[in-house]
Amino acid sequence: MISPVYGPLIEKLLAGEFICAITDEAHFTKLQDEQTRDNIDAYLKPLNRRLAANDEGSVYFLAYRDLDDDARECLKQQLSVVMGSMLPLLEWLTYIQEAMGSDGILTAGDTLKLQELTVKTEDNPSLRQRLQSLANDRFFNSQSDAVDGQAKQVAKRLVEHGYLLQPHTNRLYFIVTGKIDYLLELVRFIKDEENIPLDETTSQAELL
Amino acid sequence: MAQTNDEQLLSNVFDVGVERLKLIGNHAQVLMQGYLSGGIEASALSEQALKKLINARVIYQPDDSHELKLRHPVTQLIAAMVTDESRRQVNADIADKLQSIRGFVQGFREAQRSGDVIRADNQLQRTEEAVYDLTSQFEEAIFSLWHRLNSNFGFVSNLSDKIRENSRAQQQIRRLIEGLSLIDFDELIELAEGNPTLRKLLVTKLQAQINGHHGSLLEVQKRLVELMTRFREQQERSLLVTRMAGFLREHPGFTVGDYAYRSRVPTLINQATAIIPAAAVALDRRDQHTDIASMVHGLYKELAIRAKTNDADSNTQAVDNREQQQAVEARQQQLKHDAMQYFIAVCDSEAPLSALDYLYQQSLEWPAEAWLFQVIGEYNSLPRHEQKLFNIERSEQPLSRYNQVIVIEDITLSFNT
Repeated sequence: MISPVYGPLIEKLLAGEFICAITDEAHFTKLQDEQTRDNIDAYLKPLNRRLAANDEGSVYFLAYRDLDDDARECLKQQLSVVMGSMLPLLEWLTYIQEAMGSDGILTAGDTLKLQELTVKTEDNPSLRQRLQSLANDRFFNSQSDAVDGQAKQVAKRLVEHGYLLQPHTNRLYFIVTGKIDYLLELVRFIKDEENIPLDETTSQAELL
Repeated sequence: MAQTNDEQLLSNVFDVGVERLKLIGNHAQVLMQGYLSGGIEASALSEQALKKLINARVIYQPDDSHELKLRHPVTQLIAAMVTDESRRQVNADIADKLQSIRGFVQGFREAQRSGDVIRADNQLQRTEEAVYDLTSQFEEAIFSLWHRLNSNFGFVSNLSDKIRENSRAQQQIRRLIEGLSLIDFDELIELAEGNPTLRKLLVTKLQAQINGHHGSLLEVQKRLVELMTRFREQQERSLLVTRMAGFLREHPGFTVGDYAYRSRVPTLINQATAIIPAAAVALDRRDQHTDIASMVHGLYKELAIRAKTNDADSNTQAVDNREQQQAVEARQQQLKHDAMQYFIAVCDSEAPLSALDYLYQQSLEWPAEAWLFQVIGEYNSLPRHEQKLFNIERSEQPLSRYNQVIVIEDITLSFNT
């Protein structure tokens, strides 16, 4: 028997949300408990779903329990969508790193102030250009010509896709969610799986 | 961005440096006297100057005594500038320092045997200085290491420089720890035998200090390793993202393998599509009919209100606003009244009464925060002599370890009889 307190959590999971310490701390804490995870798994069994986590265990989501043909077809389509959005997402990460002058790529829990970002981008032609090309990408799909509008649209799309969390709808600051960890793990996985020689390509690119 | 940071840092360092060098210049005579005689009388300096010099790490006060001493680097600086080879130490290592301590102690013993009090005093002072040099070398190193750690290696601007600096600092720690292991207390005990001053200097004090330094070094080392791990992770993530982005840019047609149709589907890829648990109104349960009826009723009401507000012109809106304001005022009055009732309840009660308990007992509708705010407000607005009749006790705690904002969680009032 599943305790009724898991209702909202299961609904979120079923809706395809990624649960991490940033998006939903209370539920994430509950998911740390093995018994809870087993209960949820048992509950989801008839729906052909199970609880899954990334390697670090920093984000939870639902996976298929049995991989029948329908499930595989869904996964295939999903993967092609993810691959389509990968480059804009990675470009966005490097753009933020450069704009904020930080040592590392954004990680879960980092905050992002749109105002600050806009100011820094407006002052720098190269950053403006990068934001422009990002915003024009199909994934972000901004119609705006202004830095402000582009930055807002990009952030909006990232919130929709669960990479950013906007704690207050009327305030333009965002928190990076654990889904970014998932994305990076996927990138790392693809790099290893496809034997992408990342070390050589960039050293050549840098030389050029 | 990085460049302006660097500039800021440099100008900051520049300003502090100029200020401190001037400070040394302003007190050049006193400091030089201190260098030659081994100590500075506190009375030779104004209290303010003393504070400044200590803060600038120019001088220090070894114990509770009134005498002050020059810090090791200042001594070294002067020694280097006046090329005072007897006190200048280039590439000083622990073994060397220990050797000089042995030498001075020997000198002291010889002078004592021959009854040369002045020379004995002199040698004792030298021993003291040598011991201080020994510990201050660690102290300075540890100070510098903590400083580097706490500033997150902010003195270099990019990540790979930070990684290099961090590994250099770790090597320094290893060498310092190796150096500490050279200090053999059995030998020092033997050296100090029979002389209480030497014993205190070479054994008791030194041992405490060295233990402290050893602990600090291990702590810094641990923290440096942690920081290094974080640096490396950051570096790995940065490289992964930039390089993968570069690769995808260069290979627009890149596709991944058919992961979904493998016999073992990678766990990361297995992310199920969403299911929306929808539900609709159902009339097949008699016991729920009343609930549904009231919902429909409520819906009609809501629709009626919406229709009304849509019709309403700006005039009626103004009236609405006034009505709203009156409603707010009425609520404010009610809150005040409830708070006063609470004070009366406190007077009646023998035991201290928590404001939140009262709120729940009386099942009042106010949010806890507003309630506490009102209670505090009421208390503060009482005349002073009436305030004295109540003991107010706040249970409060900081918001988190890192945020020192104090949050009041509850108020407990009791009546002084």
